[in-house]
Amino acid sequence: MADAVATTQELRIVGQPIQRHDARDKVAAAMAYAGDFALPGMLHAFVLRSPYPSARIVKLDTQRAAAMPGVAVVLTARDVPKNTLSTDVPGQTTTVGPLRATLHVLAEDRVRHQGEPVALIAAETLEQARAATEAVDVEYAPLPSVFTTADALAPGAPAVHESGNLLAQWRIARGDVAAGFARAAVVVEGEYVTQFVDAAYLEPESGVAWIDSDGVITIRLSTQVIEHFRDVAEVLNVPQNRVRVIGTYLGGGFGGKEDVTVEVYLGLLALKTGRPVKMVWTRQESLLARAKRHPYRLKYRTGALATGEIVAQEIDLLADSGAYAYLSALVLLYSTVTAAGPYRAPNVSVVARVAYTNNPPTSAMRGFGAMQTVFGYESQMDRVARALGIDPVRVRAVNTLRRGDSLPVGQVMETHVAIPELARRAWAALGTPAAPRAPHVKVGRGLACNLQPYGRIVWLHDWSSAWIGFEMDGSLVVRCGAPDVGGGQASSLCQIASEVLGVPLDRIVVHVSDSALTPLSGTTTASRQLYMSGNAVLKAARELRAQLLTVAARLLDTDAEKLEMIDGAVHAPDARTLSLRSLLVECARASVPRSHLGVYHAPAGEPVDLNAGAGKVFPDYTFGAHAAEVEVDTETGEVRVLKYAAAHDVGRAINPQSVEGQIQGGAVQGLGYGLMEDVVVEDGINLTTSFATYLIPTAADVPDVEAIVVESGEGLGPFNARGIGEPPIGPPAAAVANAIEDATGARMTRLPITAERVARALGLVTE
Amino acid sequence: MRYEAPESVQGAVALLAAANGDARVLAGGTDLLVQMRADVVEPELIVDIKRIRETRAVTQENGGWRIGAAVTGAELKEHAPLKQAWPGVVEAANLIGSTQVQGRATLGGNLCNGSPAADSVPALIAAGAVAKLAGPHGQRDLPVEDVMLGPRTLALRPGEFVVSFLLPPRPPRSADAYLRFIPRTEMDIAVVGAGVSIAVDGAGTITAARVSLGAVAPRVLLVAEAAQAIIGSRLDDAAQERLAAAARAACRPIDDKRGTTEFRVDVAGVLARRAALIAMDRARTR
Ligand SMILES: Cc1cc2nc3c(=O)[nH]c(=O)nc-3n(C[C@H](O)[C@H](O)[C@H](O)COP(=O)(O)OP(=O)(O)OC[C@H]3O[C@@H](n4cnc5c(N)ncnc54)[C@H](O)[C@@H]3O)c2cc1C
Repeated sequence: MADAVATTQELRIVGQPIQRHDARDKVAAAMAYAGDFALPGMLHAFVLRSPYPSARIVKLDTQRAAAMPGVAVVLTARDVPKNTLSTDVPGQTTTVGPLRATLHVLAEDRVRHQGEPVALIAAETLEQARAATEAVDVEYAPLPSVFTTADALAPGAPAVHESGNLLAQWRIARGDVAAGFARAAVVVEGEYVTQFVDAAYLEPESGVAWIDSDGVITIRLSTQVIEHFRDVAEVLNVPQNRVRVIGTYLGGGFGGKEDVTVEVYLGLLALKTGRPVKMVWTRQESLLARAKRHPYRLKYRTGALATGEIVAQEIDLLADSGAYAYLSALVLLYSTVTAAGPYRAPNVSVVARVAYTNNPPTSAMRGFGAMQTVFGYESQMDRVARALGIDPVRVRAVNTLRRGDSLPVGQVMETHVAIPELARRAWAALGTPAAPRAPHVKVGRGLACNLQPYGRIVWLHDWSSAWIGFEMDGSLVVRCGAPDVGGGQASSLCQIASEVLGVPLDRIVVHVSDSALTPLSGTTTASRQLYMSGNAVLKAARELRAQLLTVAARLLDTDAEKLEMIDGAVHAPDARTLSLRSLLVECARASVPRSHLGVYHAPAGEPVDLNAGAGKVFPDYTFGAHAAEVEVDTETGEVRVLKYAAAHDVGRAINPQSVEGQIQGGAVQGLGYGLMEDVVVEDGINLTTSFATYLIPTAADVPDVEAIVVESGEGLGPFNARGIGEPPIGPPAAAVANAIEDATGARMTRLPITAERVARALGLVTE
Repeated sequence: MRYEAPESVQGAVALLAAANGDARVLAGGTDLLVQMRADVVEPELIVDIKRIRETRAVTQENGGWRIGAAVTGAELKEHAPLKQAWPGVVEAANLIGSTQVQGRATLGGNLCNGSPAADSVPALIAAGAVAKLAGPHGQRDLPVEDVMLGPRTLALRPGEFVVSFLLPPRPPRSADAYLRFIPRTEMDIAVVGAGVSIAVDGAGTITAARVSLGAVAPRVLLVAEAAQAIIGSRLDDAAQERLAAAARAACRPIDDKRGTTEFRVDVAGVLARRAALIAMDRARTR
């Protein structure tokens, strides 16, 4: 978009590493999270969940439970006004045609995964609610079940849903793959397997609901999507304006709070009892019940010329959706689009499928299907380089998409792809190689690059809105529906408003995440919030500025274009100033509004027919390159990451501190994915429902992550920023796998790369 | 549930012996409280032993060291003379949990929780530590390797508890070491643990050794064959190989998501050898 401020003036506030207004409270444990709220007379709620991965409900009797001490209500499917919940594309858009995905709020006659909600209990105390849960009389008759995608797609497999086990598939093809392979000097084939992982945020799913004095069912919770108020209203069968969702500052979301969590239960219970209700999932419940990241099996066949230039790619992806669709079809679309990486792929075929099983459901998680593919295409890239004896940075530079090139899906790259520079800088940041500290230790290095869409699929017609208004004393209020999931979303909006309107940050207050009182801004997902709401705030601020400066120009008897707004005053070129306060008084007198609502519409497009193979899918992409140095214990297989550098082109860093935080956090979460995180599911039963068994990295497991922030000025966001929420989680697993091969010669193809798997690859384990 | 905090050994024994229903000793509580919250145990009586002087002291006794059963990992870490004499025991105790857990976790709790993966137990066994038990029929001494019989099963009689541990006197040129293997760097349960204590003569030949392995059998093992494999050697390559082979031969591990049987067996050999090398190194320089 037009960018007068950025190009004609030096930026004063945007680009500064400003300490976020929420940072201190969080460190000092003063932040009130969703679970910290309480109301007088509040009930406590608990969900009864299925212990079986696949069963018919033969009997469900709540009489005994309802009679237990302190129990206010016990609900089953029969008590839910409309027991169907839509689970596709939350946010502003609700029609996506054939991708419609639904599930039951509470199970009716059948459960399809362990942890599926069966009944809902509210009681005076949490202990009473739990006790009553155990008194619900449920009988299950186990049904045939299926636990691997291969089994699910085999003929005669038990059907998880009547529609069959193949939930979605995408196919794209460009060029002539066979001819490409015929020209190739080297062909590399690999099959990669990734695992279920959990968002594992510090703050589990939680919220409180009550019926407010205006009769509106109000739900204050930890969510990435306040627009779920519509889904709640649908289930409760009340008008949408009768439900209000207030989002709190989150203790992490990572996609796990993109789908509905506690809000429908809380709404139902508040409606049925007329009393305030609270629900906080335990860690065990969160690890059991939340949707996971999709496990993938990725098959790659890659052909390259002796120069390293890739001339053929044959890709086959198969993902596990678990028992319900949720966002699986879209996750798979992200995989399909990104399957060949940020590289030219003149001859390519991608077949991508996602299947139902009786495993835990899978849905959104940071990276959203564009992550699993990095492990595939970057492992392949490294093998090509190794086979041809080409330097890892060079092989990537040779293949990088240029402006004007097309992705396999036919989308033309309209912005700069900084992969060569990012790769060079990340690689150089590793410095001189560490000497092995013992004879049994080997040291190696690996590189991995990625592309990650930011913003929503163009045919979802995404938009965001924000309201900015001055108080009479010149202080500023920003209202924007965007939930702050911990990435500094709210604070960056203040920085943008401050830049344009010249109001110091300590004179700005931002209200976010309230479906009734803040303009809707869409989900804090898809790395879209800075891009979308940043643009909405920028638009509101610029339009408000223009409004005010017309008045100021009259007072100062000069042209509005010559005026500047700095530090709470309007400055004329001849050094005369006008205080904001006087300007606002004059606006009031002259009936010029002191506030403005800005609405930003992302570039939209029509759905592309992937099979026909052409078109724009995403507004733009963020690119990255990560480099890792690891040591491998050649007697035990243990891997330690010694050094780590992560470079991303963020277009422009609105707040470099927040950008570095996203890069470091993403890299660490990605290292957890690469090296240890694993939701172990055996025959549909989750064996890792505590942090003693579901291992995530501790501070002792990761080195300092050097964040390299590159600003090409090429993004679609405010001041040409790009989204950086998801991108940094993509490359770590592949970077580490590539480093391990560099150190030991062993190629790791299955995640997580545990010591035992490395030991086996090194032939250390005697059967 | 009743909570008592007696101030004498006799007082604790009286409470434990008189209890009907499940009575539990409470030391740091880092196992017990977790298990209570998870409804794994529901004791009727809790006897907190931290007010009993004998359980909280580290004292010298006949040239050896007596460590109270309720002394915490953090306290052991601060005890320079003990650390000097038994570095392996102290480093094992200090591996338990995190800084926070260290402020509570005790040797007595680690042993009496009855986990085959308890970190300090192989180090105590390699050190030749003897537990002092107090019960309704008086006190008795029991080598640590005889206290635990299997997962969650102890040789303690009704009403008995562990008051303290005695580590024997340290001969010159002797030392110990403990190593464990876990899937991440901290805060995790051992897949394999190996404790080794070694004494060498002036020529650097091993004159005495004890080797103990954790997490590779239903109870922590004292592996005499592994010790035999290095006694009389200078821990040359061949002796190291014999040690690793003997350690592996003794393993009877479970197979689970943390580590398959084969992997645990393999790593047990590696750790036994590495722990021996560290102990040897320490012994030579004393
Ligand atoms: C986060 C976390 C991390 C951990 N990491 C590790 C680890 O790395 N390695 C490891 O080995 N363990 C680990 N543990 C387990 C635990 O901390 C240790 O086993 C610790 O040593 C237990 O000591 P305690 O004093 O807290 O025992 P308590 O919980 O007080 O007692 C444990 C059991 O022993 C009994 N008991 C205690 N003292 C006596 C006594 N004197 N006589 C008779 N019975 C007694 C109690 O009744 C109880 O059954 C961890 C625990 C947590 C919570």
